[in-house]
Amino acid sequence: MNILSFILIVFASLFFSGIIIRTKSIFSGRKGPGIFQPLKDIWRLFRKGAVYSKTSSFIFQIAPSIYFASVLMAICFIPFGNQPGIISFKGDFIFFAYVLALGKFFIIISALDTGSSFSGMGASREALYSLLVEPAFFILMGSFALLTGHTSFFEIFSSLHFGSHISYAIGILAAFVFVIIALIENSRMPMDDPKTHLELTMIHEVMILDNSGFDLGLLLSATHLKFAMYGALIANFFLTPNYEWYYSIPIFISSQILFAIVIGTIESFMARFRMNHNPQYIFMLTSISLLIYLGVLLILGKIV
Amino acid sequence: MTNILLITFAISLIYLGLANRLGSYINALVFQGIVLFGVAFIELIEINLINLVFVLLETIVFKAIIIPYFLNYIIHKNKITRDIEPYLPDFVSIVLITGIILGSFLLSNSIQDSHVRKIFFVVAISALFTGLYIIVSRRKIITHVMGFLVIENGVFILSIALGNEMPMLVNIGILLDIFASVFLLGIFANKIGDVMKEQDVEQLSNLKD
Repeated sequence: MNILSFILIVFASLFFSGIIIRTKSIFSGRKGPGIFQPLKDIWRLFRKGAVYSKTSSFIFQIAPSIYFASVLMAICFIPFGNQPGIISFKGDFIFFAYVLALGKFFIIISALDTGSSFSGMGASREALYSLLVEPAFFILMGSFALLTGHTSFFEIFSSLHFGSHISYAIGILAAFVFVIIALIENSRMPMDDPKTHLELTMIHEVMILDNSGFDLGLLLSATHLKFAMYGALIANFFLTPNYEWYYSIPIFISSQILFAIVIGTIESFMARFRMNHNPQYIFMLTSISLLIYLGVLLILGKIV
Repeated sequence: MTNILLITFAISLIYLGLANRLGSYINALVFQGIVLFGVAFIELIEINLINLVFVLLETIVFKAIIIPYFLNYIIHKNKITRDIEPYLPDFVSIVLITGIILGSFLLSNSIQDSHVRKIFFVVAISALFTGLYIIVSRRKIITHVMGFLVIENGVFILSIALGNEMPMLVNIGILLDIFASVFLLGIFANKIGDVMKEQDVEQLSNLKD
């Protein structure tokens, strides 16, 4: 039954982008495409062949598959309620972060491999932002590992208890940091605009500008999977292990839908940041994670 | 509950590193005043009533209403531009403020004193140094006053930590508030914005005998 979380995340990923697009079109008063439009786009791309430039090497050809595989691998670590993920061992959140980083590394070198100057620029930005996100993620997960005394996703989430006032504050802050991390990792609105048409202002989009057909379909579906994966991580904060599956599955689905609607709302009402303002906003996450660490020390009574 | 408020206060310090409008600074100061009102209310409930009412009035009326209103008034009256004009990029600011919080954290852990609760000490010291940093790294005189107000909020937190034992310290913290208002009055009365065209401290170096 450990495969349940994997199935649910893949299932949620099918609708995630559709819900975001639907939210955005409702807020802007358009009729908009249906919820299944992203799925149809990906299906159309999967039926096409890919075109490779003569200047690119084999790295460009294998990178999308490795990226997709790394995201699938990372999803295997996400627990669900009182069940661990498919793979679960001590310290697996470090492995989780670096599996994702491996995929990102390959997508970056494949962007450099195309030889396009725009792609290199996007790759450099993406590398910078991922680099700035990493300390926030590790300080956050490290604080929770310290709080619960366990070091794997499943054990951390299953022994996380919300009791005192300050633990609620920490939960809210952590959910906030996770939402922003999800937005950055998926290159969404406040940091990067997926709908922009100018190469100079693109970050993630310019990296995959040269991919086409099947490869592009893989990259797009990997993005959807990543969204659902972070949504599942956030949902895990609120899934207490005592619940039976017939409670936890509706909680999971509704928190995913809520997460998608939140992202759609953010994208409808916020303008993207100026490119040179992005690093400090991302670094702010590290500062907030440090405050979470302070709160954890307070709960544990290490400082009084 | 006090811990949550103090952590919120620390987040507002990080926000000061990010903000780049004078309006955001004033909002942050209002927010800090309200947070300090909560902290003072919870912590000082045991001291005598007149003192308590005085402290609460001071936090909510002075810190959250009068001084921000007056700052706004001065900014409009003297036609000060809205940008805060830092010497350093914002990224450096936020890294340094995070470093300040971390450093005061380590400093307070090395102090073995049972009188002051450490969370108060951490937040107070980081507010002190953040205010100092804002004074050093911003160009306008009005932001120097705002940095001083942040310092003074830090002193207030430190005095609340000891408020039950010595109410005198709280009163000293309040005196600092009045000192800051005198600063503001000075800027207002001398109309520095009008006389110097720009309130730029660099222009002070052009002064000669």
